[in-house]
Amino acid sequence: MNFSQFIFRRTLMVIPLLVGVVFLTFMLVRVGGLDPVGLLAGPTATAEEFDMIREELGLDQPLWKQFLIYAGNVVQGDLGESWLSNRPVLEDISARSLISLELLFWGIGLGTIIGVPLGLRAAFNPNGRFDQATRIMSLLGFSIPTYWLGLVMLFVFFYLLRWAPPGMGRISLMVSPPDFVTGSYLIDSLLSANWQAAHSALTHLILPVVCLAIVSAAPIIKQTRAIALEVIASDSVRYARACGLKTKTVRDIVFRNSATPIITFVGTEITGLVGTMSLIEYVFAWGGLGQYGLNAIVRGDFTAVQGYVLTLALFSVLVFLVVDIIIAIIEPRSELN
Amino acid sequence: MRKNKNKLLVTAAASLAFTALAGAASAETLIVASPQVPEGFDGDALKTHTQNVVVQTYENLVVYGKKVVDGRTVNDPATVEPHLAESWKVSADGKTWVFKLREGIKSPYGNELTADDVEWSWAKSFAQKRTGNFIARVSNVVGVKAVSKYEVEFTLSAPSSIFLKALTLYVPGIYDSTEVKKHATSDDPWALKWMQSNTAGFGAYHLETLRPDDQAIYVANKNYFGGKLHFDRVIYKEVPSEASRVTLLKTGQVHLIDRPSIQKVVDLQKDSNVKVDRASGRSIASARMNPKCKPFDDVRVRQAFNYAVDKNALNTAVFAGQADIAKSIVPPIVDGYNPNHYPYDYNPAKAKALLAEAGYPNGISEPIKLLYADAFWHQEPIAIQVADMLKKVGVTVQPTRVTTSEMRAKGSPKEMSMCFFTWEDGPIVLDPVYTMYLISHSKGVSNRAAYNNPRVDELIDMSREELDAGKRLAMMDEAQKLWVLDAPWILTTYPATFEAMNPKLNGWVHYPDEHERWRELKMN
Repeated sequence: MNFSQFIFRRTLMVIPLLVGVVFLTFMLVRVGGLDPVGLLAGPTATAEEFDMIREELGLDQPLWKQFLIYAGNVVQGDLGESWLSNRPVLEDISARSLISLELLFWGIGLGTIIGVPLGLRAAFNPNGRFDQATRIMSLLGFSIPTYWLGLVMLFVFFYLLRWAPPGMGRISLMVSPPDFVTGSYLIDSLLSANWQAAHSALTHLILPVVCLAIVSAAPIIKQTRAIALEVIASDSVRYARACGLKTKTVRDIVFRNSATPIITFVGTEITGLVGTMSLIEYVFAWGGLGQYGLNAIVRGDFTAVQGYVLTLALFSVLVFLVVDIIIAIIEPRSELN
Repeated sequence: MRKNKNKLLVTAAASLAFTALAGAASAETLIVASPQVPEGFDGDALKTHTQNVVVQTYENLVVYGKKVVDGRTVNDPATVEPHLAESWKVSADGKTWVFKLREGIKSPYGNELTADDVEWSWAKSFAQKRTGNFIARVSNVVGVKAVSKYEVEFTLSAPSSIFLKALTLYVPGIYDSTEVKKHATSDDPWALKWMQSNTAGFGAYHLETLRPDDQAIYVANKNYFGGKLHFDRVIYKEVPSEASRVTLLKTGQVHLIDRPSIQKVVDLQKDSNVKVDRASGRSIASARMNPKCKPFDDVRVRQAFNYAVDKNALNTAVFAGQADIAKSIVPPIVDGYNPNHYPYDYNPAKAKALLAEAGYPNGISEPIKLLYADAFWHQEPIAIQVADMLKKVGVTVQPTRVTTSEMRAKGSPKEMSMCFFTWEDGPIVLDPVYTMYLISHSKGVSNRAAYNNPRVDELIDMSREELDAGKRLAMMDEAQKLWVLDAPWILTTYPATFEAMNPKLNGWVHYPDEHERWRELKMN
């Protein structure tokens, strides 16, 4: 099987999944007891105004009809308009996705860079002092509520120490953001050699990225350790050891054999962190997709919620596809090879 | 090496924080931190945070006069002064009002305000059938037309005592119709699409740039007729977390934060880096009883419930003692408020006696659901307090959560199907007739709990058309008395309004829409 066939087959498998996601989110937001009409109509609305808005939104139609109209639009790439802001959902989501991706990329990147070596190191000397220390660290990372962590970081590093900028978004209010190229303020301002903006964007990134890294590193440490321990206990490694290979060589073998499950795990972590990230965005007023989704859910903006969930589903699919490709490349036993 | 690097980073961050701080302190830019950037800029179609900003752009024909109470400037509900209009005449039958516009008022686009703008703006509100139309309806306005370049005539279906005060509102807003029409299309004759991210008023500020979910930047109208503005720029910044907003205010990063919660108010009052201004409440927090449901069909039960609730304890428990005890359906900020008809000082013995009289000598053991939502932060704690206090007179109450939308829908005039629920309502026009028409008339849009007393309706209907202030207030006094004896709500408190700001910021005045006017603010 060649590479394009592989991708094609994977993509085909995604279609029923997405159909399911579209159907489920559509139904869930509608049976969830939220009524955006009340919100839109405002406190002085009369019965006629309620009906008028209901009709405008198409909510007077039977549910199956509403779904068919929505599904038809989605197939054509139209996610509808937000009921609250009247802006096209697709446009809003694509603008915010890049903002969130930047945070996610640095956060999970840092989390992985920290988590994997720590987990491996702990596995090579299980129950040693280092292992105990990392266990406590990952336990802490697991149990700290993300929202609270963000607030505490702001309190300490901004309010008390004044080292970090305030949690007011991605760039200082007094600095005008760079022109749009990639959507990342940091990269865009570097590209346009706008050092002041780059500096501001970088400093604004630090706290939320560290937050996300802490939250993501904890499970990575734990999982890497478990995976590596299993590999260490495997016949092949025991055989290698029995043959008297150097410790470094053995460790290389362990690392090589652990790589596939670790990458798979980091992939699932990424998709899981997208939810966690909405809280970090909320605390730091990041203005990304997570904040958008959270807002939409709280306010019962049905079309926006549907668009948000669909985007997350697509994103997960994409992440797993990338994971599969990476594994296919590095893993000699994969179907592709 | 690594250590040095860290140090560098830290210094960099610190220096940045410092520049941001210095920037925030500059005199010309006002920075407001709000849970959200407005989702719309059309006063007729209110969305989240629309109201906060339309009041900065759309000023109206008249304004309330000001008075000083306890050293604080407040709007005087008894007087109305010229604003965009310089004078007005009323016909003998009270049905025709002609306003003479001030000449030379210009929008930021440079167009002069004319009677055509007023006519166009009201036509827009009539056509949209939303908030502006509602205001027109309660003030009996049926037609608005330009009679000369600077004169505009309002036709009323019947005389209205509310009308003039309703003209202090931001809606129907007065638009620069010359500018707006440029953006109208045949599908969208009122340019509503354009107004989703643009403004065109004659007021102090207009929208310059909008980044959804991030910030809206307003700039001063360079042609503003009302004198020099202290701030030439306003950044309306979205900071969703309240804890973050409070920290930003305490550190001087922002000048003003959108209505803080009562817990934060208590915390902010202790901080010398923050000034907290307070205005007595305009709205009423209550638990409403629907007389169509058992056991509320018996007035003695409703009265008993009022006696059973310890209002002072509730104020302390829920509002940190910062609210005022409510004693009338007409709040104190409104003309004609009379607390003297109120008999329900805390008296559990009397509550039990009344319950016994109503046929419940052992209290009511079958649980009554008390619904609450999260439209107002105090709905839940009030429900819990009320349930607890009623338990002491033998009544079992179950606080039950529902969604805000459900509550709004079930409280709409069409349904009014909830039996017992906590809510807050208050008038946006500082007038007793408006207040009672809205919340205690059987057809009032904010009645929500099917209260219906034909005599109260009659008094309200007569007052709506009575232009003599004395007679009107007398009728409203009678209506207040009837209402309080009917006891359709457990009155609890008038929650106060708090605005937390930089200590150097002055000029804050409370408006019935609960939003500051940037044009009145100054730094010193």
